[in-house]
Amino acid sequence: MEFDLHEDDAAFRRDLEAFLHEALPEDWEARSADGPGSEAQAAFSREFCARLAERGWLTPHWPREHGGGDASAWRHALLGELLWSVGEPRGPQYMNVNWIGPAIMQYGSEEQKALHLPRISAGDVLWCQGFSEPEAGSDLVALRTLALRDGDDYVVNGTKIWTSYVNHADYCFLLVRSDPESTRHRGISVLLVPMDTPGIEVREIPSVVGERYFHEVFLRDVRVPVSCRLGPEHEGWGVVSYALQYERVGAARYARAARTLDALAERARSRGQLGDPTVQEKLGEARAQCEAARVLTWRVIDQRAHDLPPSADTNVARVAGTRAEQAVARLALELFGTEALSHGSFADSQFRLAMTAGVAVGATEVQLNLVAQRFLGLPRE
Amino acid sequence: MDFEPDAEQTEIQQAIDALLERHAGPARAIQLAAHAGYDQPLEDALHEAGFLGLATAGAGPLEAGLLVESAARAGAVASVAAAALVAPGLEWASLPRPIALADASEAGPVRFAAHARTLLLRDGDQALAMRLAEGDAAPVRSEYGYPMGALPTRSLDGEPLAAGSGATLLRWWRVALALEIAGTCDGALAITTAYLKDRRQFGRAIGSFQAVQHRLAECAIAIEGVRWLAREAAYHGAPDEAAAVSAAEAARVAQLVFAETHQLSGAIGYTREHDLHVFSMRLQTLRLELGGVGAHRRAVATSRFGAGAARG
Ligand SMILES: Cc1cc2nc3c(=O)[nH]c(=O)nc-3n(C[C@H](O)[C@H](O)[C@H](O)COP(=O)(O)OP(=O)(O)OC[C@H]3O[C@@H](n4cnc5c(N)ncnc54)[C@H](O)[C@@H]3O)c2cc1C
Repeated sequence: MEFDLHEDDAAFRRDLEAFLHEALPEDWEARSADGPGSEAQAAFSREFCARLAERGWLTPHWPREHGGGDASAWRHALLGELLWSVGEPRGPQYMNVNWIGPAIMQYGSEEQKALHLPRISAGDVLWCQGFSEPEAGSDLVALRTLALRDGDDYVVNGTKIWTSYVNHADYCFLLVRSDPESTRHRGISVLLVPMDTPGIEVREIPSVVGERYFHEVFLRDVRVPVSCRLGPEHEGWGVVSYALQYERVGAARYARAARTLDALAERARSRGQLGDPTVQEKLGEARAQCEAARVLTWRVIDQRAHDLPPSADTNVARVAGTRAEQAVARLALELFGTEALSHGSFADSQFRLAMTAGVAVGATEVQLNLVAQRFLGLPRE
Repeated sequence: MDFEPDAEQTEIQQAIDALLERHAGPARAIQLAAHAGYDQPLEDALHEAGFLGLATAGAGPLEAGLLVESAARAGAVASVAAAALVAPGLEWASLPRPIALADASEAGPVRFAAHARTLLLRDGDQALAMRLAEGDAAPVRSEYGYPMGALPTRSLDGEPLAAGSGATLLRWWRVALALEIAGTCDGALAITTAYLKDRRQFGRAIGSFQAVQHRLAECAIAIEGVRWLAREAAYHGAPDEAAAVSAAEAARVAQLVFAETHQLSGAIGYTREHDLHVFSMRLQTLRLELGGVGAHRRAVATSRFGAGAARG
């Protein structure tokens, strides 16, 4: 047990910070205010990811045979932490490199690897994740979107919902039920679907979080060649479980929260609030929560670096990260008072970006169920 | 970076656990509490095994910290943190034991003072080591988990450390508190988890109710955070911010775990027959020391953001 960052990793982090300083445009704060799915950020991501790719920093953790650098779990995590904390200039492409690419490496046909991996590594392709449905949210395996075989095609019908980034996406990592007789985990398949396939209609669901944040995707008689199926037919749940284990702790929300908190303290100072002991206590409380989330996330990264199997420590870290982000967001509003209520103010942007933390990528309550059962060993209901 | 113990740390941890298994535990704590006793044999055994010197001899403050956490988890009635972590942090290794920690600005009773031979006193930015003779610190009755004594009123012979030593004492004391809270919470959580698995009402284990599960899960998550923050802070030598962060989070979590473990244990949890109180009542003492959660949080803000004048 020791807590020193490896010298190489520390140096890498410094290099990356220097690069970001130079590569992010001056109006980056404004451009990134609407989150990684915004129009501005999706467009910028193509330019930025290409530059990252040139330096070998887009897919450093991928194996060499697929153009990566065989970098350690730590290197990959530190990269994700820093990029997410500055507002994720990779835009939606963090998903490509984190788990979509690795899933294609593991389960893809030669043809699929040759088509997708070079484009992902070059940083000029956008993907979206078509999992959730109107009747399948927390209980994802209730999904119903049907893909029926017809010759060399699947004919897909159904509705996906909440699909982030779909408005810019070139491809969708789509979960379908390929066996109409099946229920739950069985009979699911993964399709890699080009978004320009006829029969796909995308509709925005207006929200208070931001523009173009949520979408509904209607699939009507969409013909997808069988050659676009990733992995064995009806065994897509295994593919998804494999892919998402790469996403164990997900986006480094705590790192973004910590950076926001530093910015909040600066603003509090310039407003003359920093001498107020109540303000100090709130800042201190939120900082402690960010730090707890960081160290718990690092614990999970370390397990990964040791090639240990996924454990409930992941759920522990996820909940801590959510709590930290929520604490900072609440504080942003409280420090600015009613000034925060103006659209586009610093506090407003931070608050609305953070407000989905407890629901996106799985509700906190579901995480708590897993902690109770797997970490504490309490009996199932 | 490596969160897994290495071979030497595993060996130390196993030896510590074996010793605590023999000498400590809630039954021993309850027996001693009946006459506000101090576990001198336990402290002597830890000393003879070399554990109180872990911070300086061979190992380091992280290993000393693991001892502090383990002793708290075992409900040890001995001033382990002061001897193993705080005094060595001040490079004051060979003070007469037991050592009690006190803050001149606090009026209340002091843990272990009635049995201590040294009082390590924080007086503003200075730290003093004072000799205590038997009877100097009168015992104070308290239900909050430790034998307590009043700060002596007569002036004591003290050996002052240089100016600034008060801050060093404060940093190590904060880390020690966080480690003690992590271990003490472990004790309370383990007892409560076992109760929730065994206890049946409405035809089922009460631990199967989701409302109950979520509350205990929140406690577990919070405790893990304190544990790793405190270990990391000990490893790095109790830097200002990390020490304050771990103490701030620990003081928050101590109250959460106190409230939830009692609530979920029902009436039996309040009794001396049930082990919960050995750990839970201590959490109140620990979370109040050094000005409590507010002071720790202000210290975080001061060291992180350079906020205002330091208070507390
Ligand atoms: C910002 C954002 C981006 C998203 N992006 C995508 C995307 O790109 N692709 C995609 O497929 N999906 C996406 N989602 C959907 C997301 O995965 C779901 O919202 C999430 O899984 C929860 O499902 P639900 O919204 O249907 O809530 P529901 O399942 O209806 O649950 C509502 C609430 O009920 C409670 N609850 C549910 N189950 C339990 C339980 N077992 N025990 C206790 N309480 C429970 C929880 O409090 C939960 O929040 C996104 C969501 C958000 C908010």
